[in-house]
Amino acid sequence: MSRDYDICVIGSGAGAGPVISELSKQGKSVLVLEKGPWLTEEDFTKDEMACCRRSTYTPKLEDEQHVLEEENNDGSWSSEPTSESGWDFWNGNVVGGSSNFMSGYFYRIKPKDFRLLSEFGPIKGANIVDWPISYDDMEPYFTKAETEIGISGKIVAHKHQEPRSTKDFPYPPTSEHPIVNNIDRACAELNLTSLPTPRAILSTPKEKRNSCEYSGYCGSYGCHSGAKGSARAALLDDAVATGHCEIRPNSKVYKLKSNSKGQVVEALYYDRDNKAQSVTAKIFVVACHAIETSRLLLASDGPKHPDGLGNNYSQLGKNLLFSAGGSGTGEFHYSEMDKLTASAMKTRGPFVNRGLQDWYYFNDKEFGGKTKGGIIDFLLRHPNPISKAMDSKWNDDGNLNWGHNLKRDLKTVFTASQDLRFEVFNDWLPTDNCFVSLDSNIKDKWGSAVAKVRLGYHEHDLKVGEYLSAKAENVLRQMGAKNIRSSVSGSPPANLVAGGCRFGSDIKTSVLDADCKVHDVDNLYVTDGSFMPTGGSVPYTWTIYANAFRVADIIKKRV
Amino acid sequence: MSKPIINRRQFIQIIALASTSWPLISQAEKTSHLQTPRKSSDLVYKNLKDPWLSIAEVQEHLFPADDTSPGAKDIYALRFLRNMLDAPDTESEEKEFIIKGVGWLNDLSIKNYKQSFMKLSSKDKESVLRKIETSRAGSRWLNLMMTYLIEALLSDPIYGGNKDQKGWQWLEHIPGFPTPTSEQVYFKLGNQSNDLSQRRSQTLRATS
Repeated sequence: MSRDYDICVIGSGAGAGPVISELSKQGKSVLVLEKGPWLTEEDFTKDEMACCRRSTYTPKLEDEQHVLEEENNDGSWSSEPTSESGWDFWNGNVVGGSSNFMSGYFYRIKPKDFRLLSEFGPIKGANIVDWPISYDDMEPYFTKAETEIGISGKIVAHKHQEPRSTKDFPYPPTSEHPIVNNIDRACAELNLTSLPTPRAILSTPKEKRNSCEYSGYCGSYGCHSGAKGSARAALLDDAVATGHCEIRPNSKVYKLKSNSKGQVVEALYYDRDNKAQSVTAKIFVVACHAIETSRLLLASDGPKHPDGLGNNYSQLGKNLLFSAGGSGTGEFHYSEMDKLTASAMKTRGPFVNRGLQDWYYFNDKEFGGKTKGGIIDFLLRHPNPISKAMDSKWNDDGNLNWGHNLKRDLKTVFTASQDLRFEVFNDWLPTDNCFVSLDSNIKDKWGSAVAKVRLGYHEHDLKVGEYLSAKAENVLRQMGAKNIRSSVSGSPPANLVAGGCRFGSDIKTSVLDADCKVHDVDNLYVTDGSFMPTGGSVPYTWTIYANAFRVADIIKKRV
Repeated sequence: MSKPIINRRQFIQIIALASTSWPLISQAEKTSHLQTPRKSSDLVYKNLKDPWLSIAEVQEHLFPADDTSPGAKDIYALRFLRNMLDAPDTESEEKEFIIKGVGWLNDLSIKNYKQSFMKLSSKDKESVLRKIETSRAGSRWLNLMMTYLIEALLSDPIYGGNKDQKGWQWLEHIPGFPTPTSEQVYFKLGNQSNDLSQRRSQTLRATS
């Protein structure tokens, strides 16, 4: 039977890009169905209204939304549609996905992250498992991502450094803000190893892509120079240039149709005019964001898959992961600095490329000994002025703040100090209370059931987050920061999500096999963050890129 | 990503409240407001009629000029607000709600002080606004006004506020680059307008 394409990829972000790029370079015909529009570097400016105040790169919540379930004090669960709560769970629905808008902190997960259960033992209430592959299986692809995506950084030896097949990063670190000297000094005094943070941002040009322009606005913004290693800039443009890849933007896939053998035969989608269309392919690859991938497969029932593709053992959508941890801030007041130092501290543009991995694993009696910890990253407060000013809108007593009081507060917030923040990343343990299902009432604008997400977390996550947060506060204190505060909670960051289709060797406890192929579907792969059974204590993007390169090699061998 | 200024359910609550306690502007009045001719930039505050006249007064009270810093009029906060209310993604309910709020504000001013809001002393303006704030709908109306004011102060001047970058300069804010052109404002990009050809159809009030 003839098919329209060799490969049909649903989604075009970090999990899709490597498959699209590798297969089209091999000469296979690749069709990409992307829900969002196709924007280019020309379209990306430093406009806070576009990036962060309005739904520019994400759907209007009235058109497409989620239903979020949160736990009440009595242990029951309440659900609320995001069009009512305003809690937007979208990240970036454009060609290249949310990788266009990432900050690009890139960390590899470490060998022990692949066997969390064996190394650290079970935790009650958490569905911790080992991965079906090892760090050694993934290492070549972490390395490949460094060159293909363009990751800049510098290796500094430390006790938790993961093994590498190459000596150092292919690109030197990006320019650094003067405050890193203060961080380094304080860490040395505390006997900690301050590490340069690798970034998916080019410090020197790479083929058609320019290096970073150091505008100072990176996370949440699309990159104008091409330096940020989005799937679009790093992979898709070249894939299209091969002549074998077609990207179809504004194409929303709503169902994968499977046959009596259980194989996927067709992707059904709505085009930009909301007309139903379909396309056939030999192999289908789904990578459209962890929550949406589970949603699409749940909606794709067929003769052999009555409850959705890959859901014959009720594993689909389960064990969703976010990133646990929290964040904190300390202030450095210009009035306490000499003029030259103050002027250096006010610098806008270069990065605060510093992080700590001293507690990636730690040993503490409070935690019963050997424990998985996480990382701490330092960064300046985001320069977005509107969001910064919005914090001054309310008085301490909960009334609106206006007039001369407001103006005095704004002046202080903007001009009195440089604020150094930290972010803690630790494992979001998989539990039975964090999963995706289909909502029975709310539909999107095309009439498909939206994803309902239960947002439960494990108390252990908070305990580890607080442990790390206290360590980070120590660094700020050592630096002489004022007004140090931090917050660790179980509130999930919507931009750091994985799991839902965990991979494993047993069909009864996982959705995908070790190759990220749906166990009982011969021609369906999932290559976004959905495959992760545990996520490691780092942002997920590098792992997603690396795994998608790995799966691309597997698919290459069979078509 | 930030949350929407106000969500639909809250709106329904507001409108429900508004319809009982807030005087509605007649259809004729509403039409005339919407037909207020667009002003060229130097005429933003000339020949204003209500509701815009009262809104300009409210904005200046909430964000007053002083010797060293710009006020709402200096940054063209009214022009920003009107541009945003006309933007294709702004719900018509929101625009109606803001206009209804003006009617209620003037009603309360007349009831308590026998004069419309703009004629009140600064002290009396403050007490009327604080009085409004004690009601749920009034508080939401003021919150909206504040949100638009802060956006007017610190958004790119292409949207009609932050005139001559006065907001950025006052707060020593260093903007990023490149900044958007009139063809790159948010409602001509991305999911607001998927098709390149559709990006040309909306215009903003002149900005210089």
